[in-house]
Amino acid sequence: MNIIILILILFFLGAIITAFSGKISALVQDILFLIVLVVPAVLFFTGVDMNTESIITFSQAQLTFGMTPLSYYFSLIVMGLAVLAGFYTVGQMNGKKRKGYYYLNYILSIGAMFGILMSKDFISFFIFWEIMTWASYLIVIYNGKNVQKIGIKYFVMSAIGAYAMLMAIVLIHSITGSFLITDLISEYTGMTQGMQLLIPALLLIGFGVKAALMPLHIWAPDAYSNAPMSYTAIFSGALSKMGIYGMVIVFLSLLSKVPEGALIRDIVAWLAAITAAISTLWAIKQDDAKRLLAYSSIGQLGYIIIGVAIGTPMSIIAGLFLAFMHGVFKSALFMVVGAVEKQTGTTDLTEVTGLIRKMPWTFLAALISIIALAGIPPLGGFVGKWMLYESLILSDHFMLVILVFFSSTAAFLYCYKILFGFFLGQEEKEWAHVKEAPAIMIVPMVILSISSIVLGTYPQLILKPINAAMMSFGLPDTYGNLWKESILFNKWGNQIALAPIMYGIMLVFVIVTIFLFFRNRSRTRYVTTKDISTSGEIIKEHENLTFSRGFFQPFLRAVEPVMKRQIDKYMLSFAKGVEDLFEFTRRIYNGNGQTYAIYAMIFLIILLMFGKNLLG
Amino acid sequence: MEKYLDILNVAIYGSAVLLMLIGLYGALTKKSLIKIVLGLSILDSGVHLLMIAIGYLKDGTAPIFSAGNEEKMSVMVDPIPQALVLTAIVIGFGVTAVAISLVIRLYRHHNTLRIDEIKKLKW
Amino acid sequence: MVGSPVLFVAIPLLAAFIIPLTGMIWKNSVRIIPGLVLAFMFALSISLMGYVSEHGTIVEVIAGWKPPIGINLVFSPFTGFLTMLMTFLGFMVWLYSYKFKRNVDFEPSMKYFILLMLLVTGSVGIVLTGDIFNMFVFIEIVSISGYGLTSFYTRRDSAEAAFKFLFMGAIASTFLLIAIMIIYSQLGTLNIADIAEKMPLMDNKLKVLSLVFFILAIGVEAEIFPLNGWAPDVYTQAPGPIGAAFAGIVVKAAIYASVRLVYTMYDFGGAFDLFIIIGLITFIVAETTALRQDRLKRMLAYSSIGQMGLVMIAFGIGTKEGVYAALFLMFNHAIIKSLLFFSGSYLVFNKKNKYIKHVNGMGKYLPITSVLFTIGSFAIIGLPPFSGFWSKLAVLTAAADSKMVILIAVILIISILEAVYYLRVVNRIYFFDKKEKTETQKPSINALIAMICLGIIVLVIGFYPDLISGYLDRAATDLMDKGNYIKEVLTINK
Repeated sequence: MNIIILILILFFLGAIITAFSGKISALVQDILFLIVLVVPAVLFFTGVDMNTESIITFSQAQLTFGMTPLSYYFSLIVMGLAVLAGFYTVGQMNGKKRKGYYYLNYILSIGAMFGILMSKDFISFFIFWEIMTWASYLIVIYNGKNVQKIGIKYFVMSAIGAYAMLMAIVLIHSITGSFLITDLISEYTGMTQGMQLLIPALLLIGFGVKAALMPLHIWAPDAYSNAPMSYTAIFSGALSKMGIYGMVIVFLSLLSKVPEGALIRDIVAWLAAITAAISTLWAIKQDDAKRLLAYSSIGQLGYIIIGVAIGTPMSIIAGLFLAFMHGVFKSALFMVVGAVEKQTGTTDLTEVTGLIRKMPWTFLAALISIIALAGIPPLGGFVGKWMLYESLILSDHFMLVILVFFSSTAAFLYCYKILFGFFLGQEEKEWAHVKEAPAIMIVPMVILSISSIVLGTYPQLILKPINAAMMSFGLPDTYGNLWKESILFNKWGNQIALAPIMYGIMLVFVIVTIFLFFRNRSRTRYVTTKDISTSGEIIKEHENLTFSRGFFQPFLRAVEPVMKRQIDKYMLSFAKGVEDLFEFTRRIYNGNGQTYAIYAMIFLIILLMFGKNLLG
Repeated sequence: MEKYLDILNVAIYGSAVLLMLIGLYGALTKKSLIKIVLGLSILDSGVHLLMIAIGYLKDGTAPIFSAGNEEKMSVMVDPIPQALVLTAIVIGFGVTAVAISLVIRLYRHHNTLRIDEIKKLKW
Repeated sequence: MVGSPVLFVAIPLLAAFIIPLTGMIWKNSVRIIPGLVLAFMFALSISLMGYVSEHGTIVEVIAGWKPPIGINLVFSPFTGFLTMLMTFLGFMVWLYSYKFKRNVDFEPSMKYFILLMLLVTGSVGIVLTGDIFNMFVFIEIVSISGYGLTSFYTRRDSAEAAFKFLFMGAIASTFLLIAIMIIYSQLGTLNIADIAEKMPLMDNKLKVLSLVFFILAIGVEAEIFPLNGWAPDVYTQAPGPIGAAFAGIVVKAAIYASVRLVYTMYDFGGAFDLFIIIGLITFIVAETTALRQDRLKRMLAYSSIGQMGLVMIAFGIGTKEGVYAALFLMFNHAIIKSLLFFSGSYLVFNKKNKYIKHVNGMGKYLPITSVLFTIGSFAIIGLPPFSGFWSKLAVLTAAADSKMVILIAVILIISILEAVYYLRVVNRIYFFDKKEKTETQKPSINALIAMICLGIIVLVIGFYPDLISGYLDRAATDLMDKGNYIKEVLTINK
């Protein structure tokens, strides 16, 4: 038995067993759930290498599984996050309803993502893609709120993407006679021009939906915020990366081969830049942390897509690096929100305040992740963003730079909002009872925050697999030469030189902190926000001094014209119009048997009129 | 004689087609369920007549084999349409019977025989 | 050879006469004997399929009259496959409804089971016969038993549905007779193989006229677009399992008949395009109509019609891949739609109007039935890893290989609608709260077995489609090889 197949079987059987083990006891179920996530991950990292390949033959299609350097890189994200979020899930789901249902779909979607990455042909790719879609769909509607609206919207958008992809797949099959991805790549240059554009375009629609590329993103804010946060960490961190994974293949192995490809690449890069800018604005406007982070995810995915679409070696490094980093810090942030939600029961930024002393670890994770998200050195987000700016400037995409710069600067606003809203501000009685989340939820968050620090200082940890992936697409070996030619690294000489400086700074910082702490320890006392007097007046207990409502109003007023038109609304009203049209078509069946007979006669007459055409 | 035959042919085929058209007209335009069933019946009869006409042969004899009439075999009418029409008549009878029983039930259920008033099931 | 194709017709007809007599002695026999007969038919079809795959097509001559004069039954890989499918479903329907009306009268259940048996027999007869008039007779058997079964419940609006069905069916049978007579008057034969051989001799105008009449007549049973007004009514008003029988058995037989016409009897190239056009219109109208339904069974009915449109499209592609895809679709649709009708009937059991909203919150009360309905929905949408995916893939691949890009796009767009209305129901089952106090009906054990059987088939075929692809492949080859069919039938025992 091949190890990839074994892992897949483990996932799928494990999912079903886990789902039903809830009948025995909740503890058994939790342990099984973790085993099913951890064991495949261990098997994968110990047993699978680039040579592992296995083929399952059906009469209709041949399913080929194997690993490529690119899929190895993405498996790092998926497997790592799956395990970390798995532990978090056990903590978060403790005592909730429908646990079996949730675990089943969680494991299924992880298994499906793994299957997507291991697929070397389009049929297995599509099969796992669809399994991933419906498993994540079932999780999106897990809490039963607005299922007909949010769930169906997610599914319809996914179906549009998946069917576009399916159409591309059958067209590829009709041209190349095979479903293998490698066969498409080798025969792509020989296709007609129409097909050369149509096939990548259809595939990009498919991947664009999952990567929440405008205008296919309309499902994302609702779906991200409606799913339980432990899954949204996967959703935004790993599942959306499947779209990126497909895009990398399309851009690097198809569109870069033909001159017409430049057009599609520019279109996608522009769409991604607009996505990044507008969704950042929307994120600023949100008062609900879940929706804020959902919009922020869409924006961040926009950067990644820009990097991949531009297609210079450095921009691809930037895109792939950001993809990893986004997985790390955004999952941590969603976990933070999940922890806050579990402890306080709400995620409204205007309600929850002053949790910093009650949930210090959560705050720490949030702080580090937000610094990483904002792209402040020395954390991981900085490296990726810098490389992205630099590659955009070097490849003369100045307008895109402006858009990206604008949106990543504006991102500071919502970063601050989430930090302030939950953790800073006045401590209110309402939240006095709040305790730190259980350790099983804290540990994954902390691990993720630590990884963003580590990756910020040692980016080569993941630049190495990125380089291997890029070399497999025929790009030059950049490890140790091109990526260090970035201004960022040149300033400090060789790649490793970054670390000592960073650590030097940090050391000084820590020493000074410790020094101050010990020196003033005896004289410190806790100062609440009420511990002040204004104009000689003492603040009363019930008065509120901090305001978390209506943040950034002037800014939002300034950008209002951009946000006035929502694609979401247009699409919904289009869908409604279509449904009304169908209300009309069903009136053909008016219930009168005689009318049906008359239809039959009309049908007969039409057939007779066109009878000659029957002869062919 | 030839002319007579032509007229006969025209008359048979014509009346078959006419019957069918009458039946179809009745079934498609009359509102009463009974009339519709009658129309369908007439439509059926027209087809049966057409079938018989197809098997008709001038001066043909009954298609029965016996010791004496081997030489007449070439002038027998075609037996197959007759066999078919018998089957068709039986089936048509069955369908009409079912139809009438349904009409009775419809009348009991809806208290009307107008087909355009019996449309609870629609859309 | 273990049995003979004649038994497919002879045994059930015989049983239909005997059952009322045995019923006087032992009341339960009216339930058990039809089941035995259907099980026997299924077993027989399996054993004959085994024989056919080794020795080739069986042509059974009735009463010693050789073709083209006598009536013959043709059990080829193609017809055999359909026979197997239909008898299996027939048995499943029987199993599902075994306890049906248990506590009520003896009389209605006797009628129900006899008519059910005749419905299956007629459909099998349509598929097996090699003679067009014989086909007419079987179509009438199916129709009349269909009228009877539709009007089974006297308290519903079933008579209305049955009358509409009868109205259309009567017109259809008239035109079928005319078409048969046109062919007979021109070619002097009723044997399909013989007709196929002599078809080039026929005048083109009459050829077109007869084909048009055929399509009109068979189209009523096949539920193609303007002729299917009766179908949703019948599916809603007939007893639950009969909906499955219509979708899985009767329509399949009618589609077979129309395919036999176009692929074997007539030599028109344009007829394939006609199939695609009719199929596409049927598919679009039915699926869009299904989207706006508020009653569960009507929704399932329209969905079923739409799927049949897709089958027509697949047959219209005209290549071997197309036929393969169409047969795969027929198989999947038969299994999945039966599963949906079976489980759907329990979800809205005891409700007067059977609105979709009645399934709200049923996931708690009927967990297994709900899961099965969900599996069926996912499968019919074509989500992997369920069986529907492979057939949808086959259709699209066949269309792509024939360079029908727009057709693919239209099919896929309409498929999205299909996903929407099925998922709306599934969401209701699990995520809405049950409002009314009406009692839910737990499925009886035999119904549960039937549903689980179908559910397992959906899953197994989804994971391992090669289980039936061999049958499908042989069947498709068989249908495409017109010359071989003619040769096999006409040279029997010569």
